[in-house]
Amino acid sequence: MSILLALLAPVLGALVYGFERIVRARMQRRKGPPLLQPFYDMAKLLDKRLVMVHALHVSLGVVHFILLWVAVAMLFLGGHLLLILFVHLFALLALVMAGYSVRSPYSHVGANRELLALLAYEPVLILVATGFYLTTGSFYVEEILTQSPKLGPLWMCFLALLLVIPIKLKKSPFDALEAHQEIVGGVEIEYSGAFYEVLYMAKMVEYLFVYGLVWLFAGDSWLLGLVLVSLVFLLVNAVDNATARVRIDHLLRIVALGGLGLATLNLIGVSL
Amino acid sequence: MSLWSKWRKRAPWILHYNAGSCNGCDIEILAALSPRYDLERFGVLNSGNPKQSDIFLVTGPVTYRSRERLIELYMQIPEPKVVVAVGACTATGGVFRGMYNVEDGIDRYIPVDVYVPGCAAGPQLIIDGVMEAVAIWEQKTQALEEPFRLFGGMGTIGEALSRRNTLEVKDEQNHREP
Repeated sequence: MSILLALLAPVLGALVYGFERIVRARMQRRKGPPLLQPFYDMAKLLDKRLVMVHALHVSLGVVHFILLWVAVAMLFLGGHLLLILFVHLFALLALVMAGYSVRSPYSHVGANRELLALLAYEPVLILVATGFYLTTGSFYVEEILTQSPKLGPLWMCFLALLLVIPIKLKKSPFDALEAHQEIVGGVEIEYSGAFYEVLYMAKMVEYLFVYGLVWLFAGDSWLLGLVLVSLVFLLVNAVDNATARVRIDHLLRIVALGGLGLATLNLIGVSL
Repeated sequence: MSLWSKWRKRAPWILHYNAGSCNGCDIEILAALSPRYDLERFGVLNSGNPKQSDIFLVTGPVTYRSRERLIELYMQIPEPKVVVAVGACTATGGVFRGMYNVEDGIDRYIPVDVYVPGCAAGPQLIIDGVMEAVAIWEQKTQALEEPFRLFGGMGTIGEALSRRNTLEVKDEQNHREP
């Protein structure tokens, strides 16, 4: 079952993304695109004429997607949480290198912002993983999911993760890394056609990664997991619809101070 | 023809460029994308990136300053692409016609597939124009996919890609239908 989920991660992610676009549309009282819109997008993108800047740029994009997929597969198969986070970090570094490898200034700005955001949220994610270790005695997802829900002792870590989610999913108020009206997508600006589809799928796999992390807080309780994931899903989209973008330095300050502070306080509380 | 050709034209991504417009048509385009008219229900995204766009929505008569950028943006959109001229200015120059700093209409520089009339063009008309563009987009793709002889044949690359062919195909279809 989990192997199947891991193999079908891009398809699953596309369904989540399609559903999210509908939910966001309904929040704004519009009809929104059909559920299968990501697949229509894929068909369209594969139909476009191939244009690439240079081969390394494209292959780093592919590396980014594959490594993200590996991270999500490890999460689904119950791997080591720190290892999952590091593979995820590696995937993002591939994207940053791709951003720096072309001459477009927007791409460079996007890569810079991607690095700054990494600086802000990566420590938070690692502290959250440490929180799981302190409460369950194991870094293994398999082990964490057999124990009772850890939302109670780790509620501040959960709040810190809530701060990180909009960055990962490129949602307002923390979407300065992508900022379509300002830097036209940042690192993804030079990708087109089938190569953009790879990045597009990577974005969808990222959804599974983030909501997978949310699911961990529910431990062995499926019901709590479903409730948590759907509540976070609604919250993130409502906030996305209701807020404006903050600047990248504000993002850094809010997430690094708020997220890191919350997670550290939580860890101190847990270990006392 | 490929496996997915049935669904390939359900995701037209838009690039919107203001070639010296008075902003009237731009506001109407944004209105067409906004919740009330909801162009996104057809899969439309306002991508803002020429490399990821399919439909080029241009507003305004072409001012001298915007000519190069107009052509550059058009060149950066990968084939198959469709150009929609929104508003009277893009067709004839509109109220700016004959002014010293204005070219009268964008079709002096890039090939236009759909003209959306009006000053400013209403959101309903823009939605209509985009849907018309999607139909032309499909025809252009089919024209691209049709095999043709490179040398010595009647069909040359230019003819296979030209707008005239797609128009004729469309006329035949229209005559056949009733």
